[in-house]
Amino acid sequence: MKFPAAFAMMLCGSSVVVADPAKLELGKKVFLELAEPNCGVCHTLDDAGTKGEIGPLLDDMRPDADRVEAAVTNGLGAMPAYDGLSKEQIAAVAYYVASVAGKQ
Amino acid sequence: METQFKLNRRHMLAGGAGVAAAAMFQGFQAHAQDAKTPEPKPFPEYVRFKNPAHMIVHSDQTIEMKRSEFGTSIITPEDKLYIRNNVKAPGEDFVADRDGWQVEIKGVKNPKTLTVAELKTLGLTTVTMVLQCSGNGRAYFQEKVKGTDQKISGTPWTVGAAGCVMWTGVPLKAVVEALGGVESGAKYITGTGGEKIPEGINPLDVMVERSVPVKTLDDVILAWDLSGKPISLAHGGPLRMIVPGYSGVNNVKYVKTVAFTAEQSQAKIQKTGYRMHKVGEKGAPDQPSIWEMEVKSWVTVPLGDVKAGRNQISGFAFGGMNAVKSVEVSVDGGETWSKAELVGPDMGRFAWRQFVLSADLKPGSYTLVSRATDSQGAVQPKEPEINGSGYSHNGWLAPGVKITVA
Repeated sequence: MKFPAAFAMMLCGSSVVVADPAKLELGKKVFLELAEPNCGVCHTLDDAGTKGEIGPLLDDMRPDADRVEAAVTNGLGAMPAYDGLSKEQIAAVAYYVASVAGKQ
Repeated sequence: METQFKLNRRHMLAGGAGVAAAAMFQGFQAHAQDAKTPEPKPFPEYVRFKNPAHMIVHSDQTIEMKRSEFGTSIITPEDKLYIRNNVKAPGEDFVADRDGWQVEIKGVKNPKTLTVAELKTLGLTTVTMVLQCSGNGRAYFQEKVKGTDQKISGTPWTVGAAGCVMWTGVPLKAVVEALGGVESGAKYITGTGGEKIPEGINPLDVMVERSVPVKTLDDVILAWDLSGKPISLAHGGPLRMIVPGYSGVNNVKYVKTVAFTAEQSQAKIQKTGYRMHKVGEKGAPDQPSIWEMEVKSWVTVPLGDVKAGRNQISGFAFGGMNAVKSVEVSVDGGETWSKAELVGPDMGRFAWRQFVLSADLKPGSYTLVSRATDSQGAVQPKEPEINGSGYSHNGWLAPGVKITVA
């Protein structure tokens, strides 16, 4: 298996959902590299190895994908709207954060 | 598993072992919670003086007071007051020498950096006011767009991102007069927070710097006390710029610069953040900034089921910039209204008023709502127009409370 088990399968309620590894990979790349400034500058997320402390700690917050998508698309408080990212990239980073936050 | 559990629970309750069943129910819930999510971490150091049992934790920087904690206390205790920090709160070193904290005053005839000790020689005032996050009530907007492709980002506050507190400090006007007056051409008062912005980030992207119209100079104070105690770090101590009647974000914590400026701040939080815009649009400088609060009220007692007979339905009402003139209460979700009584002290136009309606309730189901009118005749709308960031919700319908009277 290419991805750790935690990536491949996630418990969602009582049903087992198979994760989308390509989307997770893209999401992590957006989180660490493609977003400008990158998400880790302000946010702590164990899975990505980031320690930013400007914004909320994502491992504590455990936002769902919709919440991340809205925040990245529209901005929120001091957080800017990420105009430079495509819809696909935003959906991927939302999926990634919702999948890994607080799971380690 | 869930079906099995429900059967068990019903069985046990039917067996009359109510207390044991309830204990097991809670135990099971806690266990089920553990399996899915880790134990909630203790509060971050800067908010550790608050009791988690009183609060709803949205994130380490967004902590709401539970509605049940409003009760009938006109002044909201600091240890229950909501938290919304736009960037991480600074360390305790910020409050190590409170009187030594420095604030730079610019855009006046004789610009100068003053310590809090020096500010204390220039004037003294206290204002009682509602402090309310711009996004308080956002959850009600978010419910409206649920299931659509529209999205409203931000913390899903209901009513608990608000409190009524007393700030003590020096009127900014007195400081300005001591420094020769405001320079001509100033249109805004721009306050800058002292949070340290780490390397690798454009300070304008995240710094907390807000501009408010210069006409607020009559009301603005630089405050060091909150309800009789030095302002905690969590709430902006040692010095906070207080703009009565303006929503939370405009009351800059750890204020280190106050400038009279011809233009609004170029920081993102001012330029494109906290703007009133349509759903799907982005924030932009030509949209209205989130400044003055509007007339609003909600019921705080009772929130649960009550006994038939005489009941006191109470809550709080405020007018933003104006005093509250009257409050109506409805027990049938807004079909019929009765005038409530304003009780308790009137602590000025920026404070909220406690209201109460004495009602004889027969057994049945009720929806409690309240509707305030301010001194200028502005009335709370049933449902405010939706906006893209979910700011300034002041509708009376959504915060309604459903109760059963038995």
